[in-house]
Amino acid sequence: MNREKRRKLLDKTMAWFMRLSMAGSAVILALILGIIIWRGLPGLSLELITKPPEGSFYLGGGGGVLNAILGSLYLALGGTLLAALLAVPVVLFIHTYAGKSRLATWLRLTLDVMWGIPSIVYGAFGFSLMILVGLRASLLAGIITLAFVVLPILARTFDEVLMLVPKELRESTLSLGTTRFEMLGMLLRQTLPGLVTALLLAFGRAIGDGASVLFTAGYTDRIPESLFEPVASLPLAIFFQLSAPFKEVQARAYASALILTVMILGISLLAQVISRRLGRNVIR
Amino acid sequence: MQHPLSVKNLNVWYGAQHALKDINIDLPARQITAIIGPSGCGKSTFLKTLNRLLELNESVRIEGKVMVDGENIYDPSVDVTDIRTRIGLLAQKPFPLPMSIYDNVAYGMRIHGIKNGSVENGVQEALTSVGLWEEVSGRLKAPATGLSGGQQQRLCLARAIAVKPAVLLCDESTASLDPISAQGIESLLMDLRGQYTLVIVTHNIAQARRLADYVMFMWLGELVEHGPAQTFFNEPQLPLTQAYLARKIG
Repeated sequence: MNREKRRKLLDKTMAWFMRLSMAGSAVILALILGIIIWRGLPGLSLELITKPPEGSFYLGGGGGVLNAILGSLYLALGGTLLAALLAVPVVLFIHTYAGKSRLATWLRLTLDVMWGIPSIVYGAFGFSLMILVGLRASLLAGIITLAFVVLPILARTFDEVLMLVPKELRESTLSLGTTRFEMLGMLLRQTLPGLVTALLLAFGRAIGDGASVLFTAGYTDRIPESLFEPVASLPLAIFFQLSAPFKEVQARAYASALILTVMILGISLLAQVISRRLGRNVIR
Repeated sequence: MQHPLSVKNLNVWYGAQHALKDINIDLPARQITAIIGPSGCGKSTFLKTLNRLLELNESVRIEGKVMVDGENIYDPSVDVTDIRTRIGLLAQKPFPLPMSIYDNVAYGMRIHGIKNGSVENGVQEALTSVGLWEEVSGRLKAPATGLSGGQQQRLCLARAIAVKPAVLLCDESTASLDPISAQGIESLLMDLRGQYTLVIVTHNIAQARRLADYVMFMWLGELVEHGPAQTFFNEPQLPLTQAYLARKIG
């Protein structure tokens, strides 16, 4: 085969290989969704979504996982917001004042290492922190631990978004006589859709994380009324139900997984809509 | 004042590279000064030293003085935001802010504390002076990104003059535009002469001939020759300038 033919063949093969990978990813997603829907739908009921568990829930009795649905929402929302409070200023600082300095490199490295730490380690860390300050397993402890877990995800994603901002935006803004702080406002406007995506990624990770809240948030059948009460979460609810030796309880575990997936899907779609609204003026 | 902008012993280094070598020049007030020279000769670097935008680049070292109305803008006591308010910039590519058409022009005025009523007048005035008011008055709240390239560049010009700078720097401001839009910007710059001290960077000698009252010719970081446009183009003194204008080099 001559060289020209070989080049063309390689080109075609590679294009097919990429298509195959794409199809493979889609099939995996479809399989996951399919299994969750197939095994979860039979266990799904209005009661499951609207009621907290009754005494014999894990033995096949009545009630639902409202405690875990609300608990997960509280934990993930709280954790993401707390992480955002820390991450957004850190990243804006890197991009406004630290530039390409060693401090910026060091901050990024720290965040990358934090990203790689397994969430059970954060759980253990959060647990020892709780003992240190005398905090019980509670919503607050869970939120703080989750904030540690998602802080690097939020920060590095937002960081990447800010790296894409053309330098002309800074120059144009500063040329009007703005302070660096005012320029930050302009950077935020330009990157709002990206920030929403980063928040969503963090939220998705937070709502699905079981290991970090295992020791720190505890587990309860009640819906918490204050930050200092323990709180249930969907991943743990799924785990406990799946470990039960009863078929109907296991079916409800899949139904709970379905609820969790639908929640994440719903939030993704909502974020898309918000992102598009906010991105109206963004320079592309 | 005769020379609102006066540069003394200006040297710039990017790391070890000596990018601007001992530049000394007085720029005439309320006229168009064109900086010409081949790519990489330091035109844009020089322009960006005039409103201290160059220092955003971290590896840069700047020595010397740039006097604006008798005040050295590199003096540590000087407020850089004040300098940039007095010296506006029109960049190479039209780059609107991520806001509506109206807010693009209003933004600069608002941050400088101009009240809403006056901002409204200011926006209309600025958009009118760049010939954009008729075209956009019906969609002021629409995103600026919806405008064409030429309209965006005029919007950027309106944004720059809305904060009433004394000096306006233009960095190859027509280079990325189609010929008709470029012509539009050129004639706007001619109209603005007399109100503003304009400093434009261009690699286009023909454009410099059309616009400039005063010309600076730069070569490898040095200011080779400068003078009133008529003298500069008709009787260039140095062989390097003659060769450049005859398009034998660069």
